[in-house]
Amino acid sequence: MNIHEYQAKKIFKQFGIRVPNGLIAYTPNEAKDSARQISETGPWVVKAQIQAGSRHIGKFSDKRAGRKGGIRLSKSLDEVYENADEMLENLLVTNHTGAKGRLVSRVYVEEYIKTIQKVYLGLVVDWVSASVMLLITPITENNEDDIVKLAIKCPESILKINLGTQKEITAAQVKEISEFLQISAETKELKSFLNKMLKIFYHYDATMLEINPIGISKDGIIWALDAKITFDANALYRHTDIIKLADEAEIDEREQTASKYGFQYKELESGIGIIVNGDGLALNIISEAKKQGMNTACFLNLKGGVDRDKIAASIKLMMTNPKVDGIFINILGGFLRCNLIADGIISVANDLGLNIPLVTRFEGTNKKEATDILQNSGLSLLLAEDTFTGLKMLKDAIEEDL
Amino acid sequence: MAVLVNKKTKIMVQGITGTQASFHIQRAINYGTRIVAGVVPNKTEDMHLGVPVFSTVREAKEKTGAEASIVFVPAKFAKSAILEAIRADLKLVVVITSGIPVNDMIEIRQELEKSQTILIGPNTPGVITPQEAYMGIFPDNIHQTGDIGIISRSSTLTYEVILEINKTGLGESTVIGLGDDFIIGTGFFRIIKEFNEDKKTKAIVLIGGIGGNYEIEAARLYQTLKKKKPVIVLLTEDIMPLSGDNGLAPEILCHGITTAAEKKKQLEAAGMIVADSIFDLKNELLKL
Repeated sequence: MNIHEYQAKKIFKQFGIRVPNGLIAYTPNEAKDSARQISETGPWVVKAQIQAGSRHIGKFSDKRAGRKGGIRLSKSLDEVYENADEMLENLLVTNHTGAKGRLVSRVYVEEYIKTIQKVYLGLVVDWVSASVMLLITPITENNEDDIVKLAIKCPESILKINLGTQKEITAAQVKEISEFLQISAETKELKSFLNKMLKIFYHYDATMLEINPIGISKDGIIWALDAKITFDANALYRHTDIIKLADEAEIDEREQTASKYGFQYKELESGIGIIVNGDGLALNIISEAKKQGMNTACFLNLKGGVDRDKIAASIKLMMTNPKVDGIFINILGGFLRCNLIADGIISVANDLGLNIPLVTRFEGTNKKEATDILQNSGLSLLLAEDTFTGLKMLKDAIEEDL
Repeated sequence: MAVLVNKKTKIMVQGITGTQASFHIQRAINYGTRIVAGVVPNKTEDMHLGVPVFSTVREAKEKTGAEASIVFVPAKFAKSAILEAIRADLKLVVVITSGIPVNDMIEIRQELEKSQTILIGPNTPGVITPQEAYMGIFPDNIHQTGDIGIISRSSTLTYEVILEINKTGLGESTVIGLGDDFIIGTGFFRIIKEFNEDKKTKAIVLIGGIGGNYEIEAARLYQTLKKKKPVIVLLTEDIMPLSGDNGLAPEILCHGITTAAEKKKQLEAAGMIVADSIFDLKNELLKL
């Protein structure tokens, strides 16, 4: 689960990390008022609040915002107003949002902090080694646009320290970092800053904590000019205060509903809808469908679902998606039992009618029960024996349907 | 011969009295799996599914000689159940539970590295040696015996692969689901080594999953083996973002190996065969 920058900064502040003064604003007038409260003379920074990286080099889809990105230095109160006005209710497209972009419903107005050095800092779980990695690289004018590209082209320009399960940074590690960065802050300040980051990371079961960038001011103080935290969804039950911060507008409505039921739903383009019980299976079908000349609109992963009603409600999500012109249900039941899916299909079809082609393919636990249920249902759906023929049947049915 | 589990393996079940556990364990018993004990910390019954129920793993091990465990315990309590199994020096622990917090898994991995236990999962369909035994939730009517060893990080895609392999007349020596979660107990290479030593296994199939560089790690270690059985990797199109993270850190960490094409290059360089569809995979197996 992700949260907004301003929410993450509030957490940072509670743990003693220095962040610029800032206020959240939903209208240009509020932005101007906020700016006035923060500082009398400015300058200020107006920042679009969306949960995606690379905002500063992003572009707004509505041209009224001009060509500037989602993070803007503003030198006067009027400029604060203008920038907020251009960004609010506009879609911001970055390398991490997809082509559609994300709606900016609020901006964060901050005091501008003059710094003499900027650094990218990231803490992230490395799955393979089951350890926490610290990633560090100095930010210069040449690389501020794309650190990911830099990581690919020139891996040695990023310092990667495997912290294992260390809860505190060692003196030797601080020394290594200081030397790598030629940092202008005192090592004591750096050590304390990194330890606070780690404390937040473990306290909240984060899987990623990123500051892009930190800034070091002339007096050697380290400021978090940015803040991103991703929380482990499996550990949220330990952090009810964090669950409350979720911004539902950031997540597609269907994805949200499915995830409430414990399933995974993903919108892609338009074409067929795929209902499966596994990520890998979905990917394989998407790739197989492509070979047969079909695009995928969305997929629904029912995982190991065992609740009849939740399964039916999720199948309904897909049947009511206008971008879907045919559905392929491919269940290879292990934990999940095929007959529950068959029940779900029938309950939704009775409720809504079946107005697009539907092909099902069942294998594994309770396959026979499922097949019997569907064959006796009187519904006009097709039963396939494997993925390849199932997709072919669906293609033919869609073409006939047109 | 097979790896990890066979019809002689004595198995206990942690959390045996749950509804899902009861359903799947009964099927495993019917299949011929040697389930000898159940473990439930606050047990209310002494027998379940015809086997004795104990309150600790150690007691179950001492009284029945069980050397392996299947864990069906809910995510919130899974960490202590798994640690208990590792500390009792079980040879093999298979964790079906999904949704275990990342930090809990990091702790479990620390403990695991100090032990001799092989931990399969979490979020795995389990381990099956066809016609002998299985530990997990596999559909039991799809496997057939043969000489292909399968190691997978994508449960349901595994079933699909097995069904297609069977059509060619080939079958499986043992099938191991490593687990679909981001952090798993055991990576590909540890199991490749087992298959490499197993007389019954002729070739090894790897099925990748989303996120992480487990295949890349396996390829790097595979190169170091002196005698190598052929390894074929199924790598389907990688259209998903790496994870739900909103930052750059996961991509930075991957050194740019974020696409299927890039992975393919690395795996082939290590001497593995890469198949980009199940059809392709079958052809490669038939060529051997």
